[in-house]
Amino acid sequence: MNPTRIFSGKIRRIITCIGAAILIASITLYLALPVAALFLRTTPDLFFSTLSTPQVINALFLSLTTSVVSLAIVILVGTPFAYVHCRNEYPGKVIVDTLIDLPLVLPPAVAGLALLVLWGRVGLLGQYLSLFGISIAFTTLAVIMAQIFVASPFYLRQAKSLFEQLDPAYEQTARTLGASPLRTFALITLPLTANGLISGAVMTFGRALGEFGATIMFAGNLPGVTQTMPLAVYVGLEGNLSVGLTISILLVLISFAIMIAVRLLARGGTFRV
Amino acid sequence: MFDAAIHKKLRDFSLDLTISAGPGEVVVLMGENGAGKSSALTIISGLITPDTGLIRLDGTVLFDSGTGMNVLAENRRIGYVFQNSAVFPHLSVQDNIAFGLRARHKNPVFIRERVRHWLKTMNIEDLAEVRAGNLSGGQKQRVALARALATEPALLMLDEPFTALDAENIRLVKDLTRAFVTEMAISCLVVTHRVSDCRDVGDRVCVICKGKKEWEGKPENLPACTCRNGDV
Amino acid sequence: MKQLITTRQTLIIGIVCGLLLLTAFFAGCASSAPAQPVTPAATAAPATPAAVVTAAPTVQPVATTAVPVSTPAAVVTTSTPAPVYTYSEGNVIAYTAASLKGASPKLAEGFAKMYPGHKVVFNLDGTQALKTQVQNGAYADVFISASQKYTTELTKGGSFVDGSVKPLTSNYVIVILPANNPGKITSLQDLSKPGLKIAMADYSVPVGTVTYSTLSNLAKSTYGQNWNTSVFSNVVTFETSEPGVATKVSLGEVDAGFVYESTAAAGKNTYSTINIPKNNNVLQTYQIAVMKQSTGKGAATDFENFMLSDAGQQILKDYGFRPIS
Repeated sequence: MNPTRIFSGKIRRIITCIGAAILIASITLYLALPVAALFLRTTPDLFFSTLSTPQVINALFLSLTTSVVSLAIVILVGTPFAYVHCRNEYPGKVIVDTLIDLPLVLPPAVAGLALLVLWGRVGLLGQYLSLFGISIAFTTLAVIMAQIFVASPFYLRQAKSLFEQLDPAYEQTARTLGASPLRTFALITLPLTANGLISGAVMTFGRALGEFGATIMFAGNLPGVTQTMPLAVYVGLEGNLSVGLTISILLVLISFAIMIAVRLLARGGTFRV
Repeated sequence: MFDAAIHKKLRDFSLDLTISAGPGEVVVLMGENGAGKSSALTIISGLITPDTGLIRLDGTVLFDSGTGMNVLAENRRIGYVFQNSAVFPHLSVQDNIAFGLRARHKNPVFIRERVRHWLKTMNIEDLAEVRAGNLSGGQKQRVALARALATEPALLMLDEPFTALDAENIRLVKDLTRAFVTEMAISCLVVTHRVSDCRDVGDRVCVICKGKKEWEGKPENLPACTCRNGDV
Repeated sequence: MKQLITTRQTLIIGIVCGLLLLTAFFAGCASSAPAQPVTPAATAAPATPAAVVTAAPTVQPVATTAVPVSTPAAVVTTSTPAPVYTYSEGNVIAYTAASLKGASPKLAEGFAKMYPGHKVVFNLDGTQALKTQVQNGAYADVFISASQKYTTELTKGGSFVDGSVKPLTSNYVIVILPANNPGKITSLQDLSKPGLKIAMADYSVPVGTVTYSTLSNLAKSTYGQNWNTSVFSNVVTFETSEPGVATKVSLGEVDAGFVYESTAAAGKNTYSTINIPKNNNVLQTYQIAVMKQSTGKGAATDFENFMLSDAGQQILKDYGFRPIS
């Protein structure tokens, strides 16, 4: 045994284990305790009784539908976009790259204001829509547009990164075997990137579900039309803390359910390379 | 019968090649890394367009800068095996082999029969349903070869097919390649940087240096060093 | 034997863990320390327009992360350990009803003039939000409430220094329209015209509560219940703070909004107004109080005195508030 070693192998191992355990525990607790506090602040009775109030049901329904629609649009439009963007060089590509990241650094209220000033009835483009009787602000559509604006970077960045990192040999081989670019994309590119795309989608959905600042600015707050769950929480904070808590708990449960479902799906699909 | 005359400006030098290969003939493209051999294959396959040139395969013009003819990569009857085999890891072995046939919309019964044939010939029948991502290097290479040959190409191209394999698999892949090229009477281009490969599989050798053909001839006559800077 | 990890690496890990433990220990000790007074304590989701002295609504620059949305976690304050004070001794942190936003720069100036060496920092937000934050442990020296109801609630909860709760000012509700009056509204009756877009504050916001009451009074006395129903069906958004209503009107995105007279006065050139008769209007009274938890009660009382002094009251009057009679 080397006499200059300070600790014996066994003690060293124990210390490392303890150190790792502390690190893991601190992070886990930091994330888990606030959530636990939510659950502990209410009672099951209170939770279920407020669950059936119109305010909660409306907010729940509205949040889920708008988030799902937003996600669908982001995926359907964003996936081909990310693919074309990655596989081609075109003038202004760098600018587009930067714009994709923009909503990430923009404060949500600023995003909402920008959308309002563009699409509102006296907005840059909105004023022309008003001529045709189309109004966007203060509608459910505005909620969806706000969600898409703030949440799309999560999916687009992920998709871009995945497509860029995919070994080009796979797509090239597919093409030499006779597959059209569309067939290649559908049968080769997508399955090989599915796992990552799904996780991007989960983040996007979560972001859309939790959107507040842009929503209240652009879509306003109207129960049943634009009052999503985060808005209902904030409004419900006074006078009806139980409503606020119930909705918060709902959001937590929904998020967990989605994430678990996605993990199970991904494992079953085994699209790992 | 395959011949190509291509010219393309690359980053460090210009690629300027004339290559030809008869049916059943294996032409080895030799040269150091970065000499432009792989780029030549990519151009011939149609994945990259040359600046000028003429590429013909079995009487069909695949590319002609004079007339503006440029057949899409998926429509050229060329089999291309990449350096890392590029088997589709998420598909089974038999789906891999069937991929090209399905892409060309062949009859399902025909496809099944062809896949069975190739599984047998490559001696990988027991791997039929295995996900290709789980195979060893040698097995992947055989699957890639089968996959390329299943579409009955007129030209087969292999890019450094032996570098990732052990000695026994190298032997195997070389034998298989030779056998099929002769049996199916297809032209074949093999890119490699190792001298031993030339003698084992090649009917003819072209030495490529910095995008130009420096020497061409029979493998047994391969000079000790042919590149101007003394490599090979 | 090949080592899994060298001695030096072990030492480094040990030091890092030790530092983490120390940090956790100190954080625990300081748990009753004032929460960052500038931003709303502990809320993850709402990017509330909490303005600090400036007029423009600054927002938490962190993108609202998704899940989970947490209400302010209950901060358990143990028996009074020495709090960590992030501001210098002469600073007063005033949790203030959002409707004082326009007046806040002048108020800050006036306070510094009257009490040199003292400074006030305003946390402006809807009174309902401020109340919840304070009830869950947020630190403030002074509380200015736009609603007697919330003041009473906080007083009952023991948040205020006894005897420090004083009436500060008052405000009536008024209707504002964008300057070019796109809705062609000339009277309160017009508010029930179909197709109009109206903004008002949510019932939980003080100005929202009085708006509801005022409308109810108007319906009972003059315009009828149908009118009331029609007005409400024209409402497109229940804002979470009074400035939110004003913003929608000033942007021209709604035809009318219900705000305080002070806000209308502050935006003289931006809005047209329609008065609501006093006998139907509900007078919102504001109260000011010193927080029991304040560690600078001297400065806090100075600020209260300033606000109640002629100088302070004049500034409020200049900004359209009505003095307490």
